[in-house]
Amino acid sequence: MNMQEPRKTLEYDVLVIGGGIAGGESAINLANLGYKVLLVEKDLSIGGKMILLSKVFPTLDCAACITTPKVSEIARHPNITIFTGTETRKITKKGEHRFEVDILQKPRYVHIEDCTGCQLCEEACPVSVTDEYQYGLVGRKAAFIPFSIASPRVAAIDIENCTLCGACERVCPTNCIDFTMTEEEFLVKVKAIVVATGFNLFDPLKIPRYGYGKFRNVLTSMQMERQLAPTRPFNTVLRPGDGKLPDNIAYVLCTGSRDKSVGNPICSQICCMYSIKQAQLLMGALPMADITIYYLHIRAFGKGFNEFYVQAQDMGVEFVKGKVGKITEKENGNLILRYEDVEAGTVQEAEHDMVVLSVGVLPNLGISDVFENEKLELDPFNFINQSDMLASPAKTSIEGVFVAGTASGPMDIPDSILSGGAASAETTSYLRRESL
Amino acid sequence: MEVEKGKTAKYLKEKHEIPKQVTEHLKYFTKTKKMLLNALREEDKTIPQLAEELGLPAQEVMFQLMSLLKYGFVETGEMDDMDEYFYYKLKSNGKNKS
Repeated sequence: MNMQEPRKTLEYDVLVIGGGIAGGESAINLANLGYKVLLVEKDLSIGGKMILLSKVFPTLDCAACITTPKVSEIARHPNITIFTGTETRKITKKGEHRFEVDILQKPRYVHIEDCTGCQLCEEACPVSVTDEYQYGLVGRKAAFIPFSIASPRVAAIDIENCTLCGACERVCPTNCIDFTMTEEEFLVKVKAIVVATGFNLFDPLKIPRYGYGKFRNVLTSMQMERQLAPTRPFNTVLRPGDGKLPDNIAYVLCTGSRDKSVGNPICSQICCMYSIKQAQLLMGALPMADITIYYLHIRAFGKGFNEFYVQAQDMGVEFVKGKVGKITEKENGNLILRYEDVEAGTVQEAEHDMVVLSVGVLPNLGISDVFENEKLELDPFNFINQSDMLASPAKTSIEGVFVAGTASGPMDIPDSILSGGAASAETTSYLRRESL
Repeated sequence: MEVEKGKTAKYLKEKHEIPKQVTEHLKYFTKTKKMLLNALREEDKTIPQLAEELGLPAQEVMFQLMSLLKYGFVETGEMDDMDEYFYYKLKSNGKNKS
């Protein structure tokens, strides 16, 4: 932190914390009503998890084709200011319609407004590290554009892995790379806050018997999502263990959901449907492949969901009602699933050449700790508590603080967008009360 | 402080020590990159073939080779006779001559 400079003060009507699809929806609705919105995002790009998905269920529309126009509308809106790489540090409620928020912007080492996204820095950078935006399937440079449809689509320097060789700035045609950049603190004064901090995916390392992290051909569903996306890491779906074209893929549903032993007893609401979606996409990508889904119950409750499930069965996806106990690896990288066949009441074993763990939804902890003088209450599963869920679903325990999307619990994309809409409507109603 | 644009890395270098593992990682990547590109110079190969030839785990070859594909050094070729593995070859854009 540069101690010489006093921190800057900024004023907006609303602070939206989190630039995923729910926060983005709230920001855009509020901005269209004429409110000045500051959208802070901790990551290098807005768009949240949705921008990294392949297609959406049950329509099989391209996720990027829905997200990118929305994201660019947010980015270009005159009433929205976006701060990426920025954390919310402290929120103090000074009175009704008066919040003071400390935010911290980490240095990107690139001046966003000057970068043209030419990628010459990427080419020049000699460093190769694991690409977190491809969920570890491939490498990326230390000078890099996070992903091709990122917003802003500009470079960033991963300072933790940078050797400070200076190759990137020597080739930069606009001199936008600047290693003298430092952290910047801001004091933001706003009248209302929307919390849209999203969710975390369950980390399957917590279930060692499934072998994730040890057996390379055991993937998470997000890794498979990347393999199926147009901006995929490989030329087609391949086993990360040896590059083999898989022809017998298993899905293990409820990995880290409905499982008290890992501390998450609730249903994640999306895993059944995204697995069925991926199974259908895989049948298109690998026409010769067999796909088996091991499930406890299929929860196809939404509009068009059951038809989507039946469609997968008609396409030849095999559904086995069974609880997978253990996964072991053969020398050739194939995997043996030991499972309880619930319908037959027996323990069985089956061999697959790739296993996808359909990981669940966990709360993104931390945001409740930044509130100084008021308590942002959480529900028993550590999602943000909706204090009046049926009448005002976006209301939280703090008047003037609203919740949008999966910050309040597991939900799918249409529900997240609806929730973002609800949060913007309730925020507007709160702001209007000020002038009455 | 007068900052010289395009040469700012040196300012941070004075304050920020490069962790040892970062330089070691760079050395490792440069070495495996050279090994993989050299091995492909002779003929197109699959990942198991490269792994056997170089004595590296197949998953390591997969990760590094896919990174080289992304960085534009390598491209995907034909499938093998068993329809299991792709062959990979040097990209013919001059980059691989380095």
